[in-house]
Amino acid sequence: MKKLGIGLYAVVTVALMIWGFYQAIYVAPDDALQGYIFRIIYYHVPSFAAAFTFFSVSFLGSIAFLSFRRSRPEWAQIADAWALAGAEVGVVFCSVGLTTGPLWGRRAWGIWWTWDARLTTTLVLWLIYVSYLLMRRFAAGPQVQTLAAVLGIFGALDVPIVYMANRWWRTQHPAPVFGGAEGSGMKDPAMLAAFGWNMLAWFAWGIFVLILRFNVERKHQQYAEEEAQEALAANI
Amino acid sequence: MDQAQILDHQFVAAAYTITWVIQLGYLAWLGWKWRTEKRNAERRSPGRR
Repeated sequence: MKKLGIGLYAVVTVALMIWGFYQAIYVAPDDALQGYIFRIIYYHVPSFAAAFTFFSVSFLGSIAFLSFRRSRPEWAQIADAWALAGAEVGVVFCSVGLTTGPLWGRRAWGIWWTWDARLTTTLVLWLIYVSYLLMRRFAAGPQVQTLAAVLGIFGALDVPIVYMANRWWRTQHPAPVFGGAEGSGMKDPAMLAAFGWNMLAWFAWGIFVLILRFNVERKHQQYAEEEAQEALAANI
Repeated sequence: MDQAQILDHQFVAAAYTITWVIQLGYLAWLGWKWRTEKRNAERRSPGRR
């Protein structure tokens, strides 16, 4: 039953990806100002929306880990697995956004990169979570999970700053697609539909890999715990 | 198709390709990691799934 559910979810996700791609490339019209290159936005914006959501999962997981690490160790381990999964999947989506953005910028602005507030805060966000993952990979000792949780919480504080950067400061980055000033954002229904389908598809994909990553980490935790128990028993 | 349109097309193709390479690469790495953890668990207690 579980396998059937996973298979069904995977099929729906793949169908959404194909439909989203079709909408973005073949149905949505060229942008009046930017032309064909605007189609990068159908992958770029959903990638960042997903990244911010998964960094928020990491943030909540980190808070839960710090809250339960003494009172309920089993809950804390589950929270830590969510925190790690959220950070890792968030970094994957953020990497996609940081790669597709310069490709769009090169054609739209004539430059690959500029140190404006939106781009710089996004790069800082990515660097914080890459350092989080490197710490989890290479550091050892009983305090690693606690230190990672603190870093995860501080990293997530950059998410609202990135989101608000092109509202608070004058940036080269375009106005927000949604929630920006009056008159900004998409108007054409076909463009809105392409954007909506791709948003749905990338979130479906992101949730799929997030749950997979969570389960891998839970398996790893169980294996590490069993190994620790055996080592303890051998020493007694 | 003029030169600018060709370039736009190439950049869009590059962006979509890079997106899929990153995402599918990550999925493949997850699959490999899943298999490793499963093997570790089976080695520890054969017969348990």
